[in-house]
Amino acid sequence: MTLEATSEDSPVVDNPSQTDSSAAPAAQSAALQRALSVLLRLSEAVKRQVLGRDDVIELVIIALVADGHVLLEDFPGSGKTTLAKALGEAIVTANEVDGSLGAIVPFRRIQFTPDLLPSDVTGGSVFDANANHFHFRHGPIFAHVVLADEINRTSPKVQSAMLEAMGEKQVTVDNATYHLDRLFFVIATQNPLDLVGTYPLPTPQLDRFLFKITMQHIEREAELDVLDSYKSRRDPVASEKLQVARSEVLKARETIDQEVVISGAIKTALVDISRNLRADERVLQGNSTRSMVLMLPALQVLATLRGRSFVSAEDIETLLPRVLGHRVELAPGVADLGRVLKDCMREPMEQLARATLR
Amino acid sequence: MSEDKTQKQLLPTSLRALIIASSYWVLSISLTTQNGSIAAFVGCVLSCLLVDAYIDRPPLRNLRLGIIAILAIVVLAVGVALSAALTSNITLASMMGPMIAYETGEVLQWLIFSASLTLLLRAIAQRTEFGRVLEILFVATAFVITLSAHRQGMIHRPFFIGDFALTRGIDPSSILMAFGCVAVLSLAALLMIEHNHRRLPYHFAVLGVLCFSLLVYVQFFGMPTPRMTDDLGLTGAARGAGGAQDENPFRDGENDTSDMQAPVAVVLFRDDYEPKGGAYYFRESAYSEFNGTMLVVPHREDMDEDLIEFFTPTRVEINEPLDAPELRTSVRTTIGLLAPHRTPFGLDTPVAFANTPNPNNLRFKQTYDAYSMVPQYEFSDLIGRDSGDPDWTPAQRQAYLELPADPRYKALAEEILATLRPEFADDPYAKALAIKDYLDRNGIYSLKNEHAYADDPAASFLFGDLTGYCMHFSFAGAYLYRAIGLPARVGIGYSVPASNRAGGSSLLIQAINGHAWPEIYLDGIGWVIVDPAPSRTLVDMSVDPQNSLQQLLGDMLRDESSFDDFVASQQSGAFPIAAILRAVATLALALLLLAYAVKIYRLRAPYYAQPAQRYRLSYRATLDNLSAHGLRRRYGESREGFAQRLSAMTPSFSTMTYSHLRRALGAQAADRQEGQIVSVDMAQDIDWLALDRRIKQEIRQHEPLWRRALAVLNPVSWIHTH
Repeated sequence: MTLEATSEDSPVVDNPSQTDSSAAPAAQSAALQRALSVLLRLSEAVKRQVLGRDDVIELVIIALVADGHVLLEDFPGSGKTTLAKALGEAIVTANEVDGSLGAIVPFRRIQFTPDLLPSDVTGGSVFDANANHFHFRHGPIFAHVVLADEINRTSPKVQSAMLEAMGEKQVTVDNATYHLDRLFFVIATQNPLDLVGTYPLPTPQLDRFLFKITMQHIEREAELDVLDSYKSRRDPVASEKLQVARSEVLKARETIDQEVVISGAIKTALVDISRNLRADERVLQGNSTRSMVLMLPALQVLATLRGRSFVSAEDIETLLPRVLGHRVELAPGVADLGRVLKDCMREPMEQLARATLR
Repeated sequence: MSEDKTQKQLLPTSLRALIIASSYWVLSISLTTQNGSIAAFVGCVLSCLLVDAYIDRPPLRNLRLGIIAILAIVVLAVGVALSAALTSNITLASMMGPMIAYETGEVLQWLIFSASLTLLLRAIAQRTEFGRVLEILFVATAFVITLSAHRQGMIHRPFFIGDFALTRGIDPSSILMAFGCVAVLSLAALLMIEHNHRRLPYHFAVLGVLCFSLLVYVQFFGMPTPRMTDDLGLTGAARGAGGAQDENPFRDGENDTSDMQAPVAVVLFRDDYEPKGGAYYFRESAYSEFNGTMLVVPHREDMDEDLIEFFTPTRVEINEPLDAPELRTSVRTTIGLLAPHRTPFGLDTPVAFANTPNPNNLRFKQTYDAYSMVPQYEFSDLIGRDSGDPDWTPAQRQAYLELPADPRYKALAEEILATLRPEFADDPYAKALAIKDYLDRNGIYSLKNEHAYADDPAASFLFGDLTGYCMHFSFAGAYLYRAIGLPARVGIGYSVPASNRAGGSSLLIQAINGHAWPEIYLDGIGWVIVDPAPSRTLVDMSVDPQNSLQQLLGDMLRDESSFDDFVASQQSGAFPIAAILRAVATLALALLLLAYAVKIYRLRAPYYAQPAQRYRLSYRATLDNLSAHGLRRRYGESREGFAQRLSAMTPSFSTMTYSHLRRALGAQAADRQEGQIVSVDMAQDIDWLALDRRIKQEIRQHEPLWRRALAVLNPVSWIHTH
C-alpha cells in the first residue's frame, strides 16, 4: 500500500524573494538568474492556460528541468491535458540547428487502452515499397512532452516499453536504438478510483517517476476564472503567447546543474533519512537509492526557483514527501505516511541544521 | 522507530520508578529492618517498570481498572497473610533460626506491600487523570510521615536520622534538610516527568540550585526558630516591643497543647542543687502593680527591684540586697535560649546575670550565666515572720496590697482563715499556706475555661467554677493574700519538675513548663513562692521530658570546645559533610562563572573573529540572544522554518539565516570540503555585525523589559543554542 503526499498543502515556491536585497549581495550569478528567468517564463506560460493549479505547475516545471517524469493522479476533466499541452507548446524548437529533431514534436498524447501495443507507443518499422527497405516510423513518444493518459489501463508490456523509454531516453525497435529528445518529459495520469480492469503500476515502475502528484479540485474562485476566461484561452492572441526555446531550457538545466551547490550535509541528511525509513518498522519497503539520485536535480531546481544558489533544508522538506510518496510501502495497518516521514526526518534534519554552525 | 520510542520512555519510566521507590524506602526505614527497606524499594521498582511496560499490552490492557485494583488488594492480603504465617510459624524459625525467619517475613511483607500498592497507584495513574496526583500525594505523605517527628526544632527526631548523625558528629539538621530537599526534588520530578522530559535536567538543575541555596542560607543565618506558646507572655516575641505589657494574660481557649513539647531553653547546672519543693522555679518577671483591673508588670521604679527588665551586654548585678544569706546556697547556671526572650530568667532567686560566648549560634539565640541564691529554708524558718519589708515606704507596701474593689476576696479569705489553728491565726506564712491549701483542694486545673473575658477573670474563676490554669490560680492566690494584708505578686517564669533532670547536669525547659505562681514577701527572707497545686486536673500535662535532646543540648551548651572536640574526634572517621558542602559550593560558583564567561564569549566572539568565521559566530551569537529570550529552534526544525516563525518579530533574522546558510551550504562550503582554500570576498560579504545589532533592536522592540533582564541574567541560555 503506497500513499503519497498530496499537493493540497502550501505552494511549492512560497516566497522566492525572502532575502533582504539591501543587506544581502546578489544571491545568484548572472547565468543562474537567466536560468531562473527561463523557468519563470515557462511556468508563466503554463499558468496562463491552466488556472488555479500553480502548485502542480511548479512541480511539473521542476520535474521537467530536473529531467524527471510526473505521475498525476486525478479525475477526468481536471485539466491535465491542458497542462501537458500548454507545457509542450510553450517550448519551441524554432531556430534549432539540431538535425535529429526532425521527428520530434512539441507535444503528444497517448491514450492507453488494454489493446494498445508497444509499437503504438514507440513506432515501428514499416516496409517502404519504393525504397525497397524497412524504415522506422516514429511513434508518439518522440516529443518534448508526452501525456500518457490512463497509463494503468494498458497491458504491462506496453507499460514496460514506455518505462524503458522514460528511464533510458531511447527506444529499441527491431534491434535498432533510436534516441529520444534530450528534453523528453512524460506526464502520466491514472484515475485512483476507477480501478476495474486496470494494471496498476508496481512499485519498481512507479520508482521511475520523480513525483506522484495527487490533484485536488481547484478553488471556487479559480474555477470561476476558468469559466470566465475559457474563450480567451482557447484562441490566444499570438503576440501574447509566452514561449521558451528548447535550447534555453536545456541551457538552464545545465546551468542549474553546475551552479547550484549541494553541500555534503544535504547529501548526508538525504541518506540518513532513507536509512531511517528503511529501518522503521512501520515501513515495509523503503525508498531506492535511485530516488535520492533523481531527487538531487529536483532540489537544485527548487533552490533556483527560491532564489538561491545552494540547496537548503527547506527544499528537502518541500520535495521529500512528493518524491517518496509513491516509493515507500507502509506496513499493514499504518496509514499516515506523513507522520512516518516526519519521524524519520526529524533527527537527520536536526543534524543538518547543526552542521551549519560547525 | 518503536525501539526509539521505548528508549525515550525508559528514562522517565525508570526515573519515576526510582522516585516512588525512594519514598517507599523512606517510609519503611523506620518501620522495618534494612532488608525490609531494600525489599520495599525493589518491589516498587519492579512493579513500576512492569506496569509501565505492559499497561498497553494484553493481558493488562484488557483488564478494567477495578479488576486491577482488586488484584492488587488480593496480592497484598495474600502477602501479608503469608508473611504473618512465616513469622508466627515455629517450623521455619526452628529450622533457620528466629532472626532469619523474622527477616524473611519482613522482606516478603514489604516486597509485596510496595509492589501491590505501586501496581495500584501506577495503574490508576496510567488510566486516569487524577492518578498522577494520587502518586504525588503518596510520595509527599511518605516523606511527611517520616519527618513529622522533626518539628519545632526537634533536631534529634526522627531518631534514626538523629542518632546516625550524632554518633558521627554531624549536625542532624543538615541531614534533615537534605531529606527535605530530596522530597522537593522528587515531587517536582514527578510533576514534570509527564510533560517534557527533554527539559527535565534543566528543571532539576534549577531546583537543585534552589535547595542548595537554602542549605547555604541555613549555614550562614541559622535554622528557623521553634514556634512558641505564649499563653504566659513569656517570650519576647509574644510581648512585642514593649507596649504589650498591659495585654490580658488570660487567653483561655487559645491554649494549644500540640506544641507544648517545643524546647524553649536549656539550663546547665554548674553547682549541685536539688530543689526542696520538687520543682525548679525560674523567674523571668512578675505582675505586681495593680492598674485598676488587674496586676501588671510594674511601671513604678520602686517595685520589684529584684528583677531586671532587659538583657545587657555585660554582667548585671541585682541591686536589691538579699535577705537571709545563711538560708541560701549559691548556684551558677548557664542558660541557652532556644527561643527569643526579652528578659533573662534565672533560678529563684537570681542575683546576677552575665552574657557568655555562644558556643553554637545556629542553635542558641543567646547564652548567659545566671547566678542565683537558691532558698534552702525549712518551714520552721518561715513561720513566725512578719510580712513585707520594714524598709518599704508606706506607698511601696500599699502598692503590693492593692486589689480589685471586690469585697468577696476579703470575705472568702477570712472564711478560709477561720479554720486556721489558733496558734497560727496571726502568722502570715501559715495564712498563705491555708489559702494555698484551699485552692489545692477545690481548684480544678484546665486549659479550657470561660473566664478570659470577664471583667475580673480571677474573680470569675475564684467565685465561679474554680476551673482554670496557673494564671487563674496565681492571680486568685495573690488577690486573696493581698485581701488579708500580705504583700503579694504573681511570679512569671518556668517551673520544671525536678524529675525531668534525670540525673544529668542539664535541664530542658519546654514550652509546657511556662508557669505563673503567687508569691508573698516575708521580712528577713524576701519573696517566697507559695504555689497552689490543684489536686484535680482535666488535662494531661505530662509530656516526654526528652532526655536525649536535653543531654544533647546540654552538651552543646556546656563548653565551646568540648562539643567541637567531640565533633573533631569523630570527624576523622566521619563523612566530611562540611568539606563536601564547601566543595560543592565552590564548584557551583565556578560553574556559574564559567557559564557566564562562555555566554559573554559567545556573544562577543563575532566582533573579534576572522572574517572567514564571522558568518558562523555572528549567527551563533544571534541564536544565543534569541535563545535567552526563549526563542529556540524546535528539534528537527529547519533554520528557514525557525526564521519564518520569527519573521513577524524580527524580519532581519530571516536575512541573517539566509546569508548564513549561503555560507554554510553554498559554494564556499563545498570548496572547503574539497580542501580548497577559501578566500572570502569581503566586498561580497554582508555586514554581519550591523545585522546582529539590527536584530537586537528588533527584539528589544518586541520584548518587555523584564524578559530582557531575564535574558541577560540567564547563565545557561547558550546551552540551548544549536
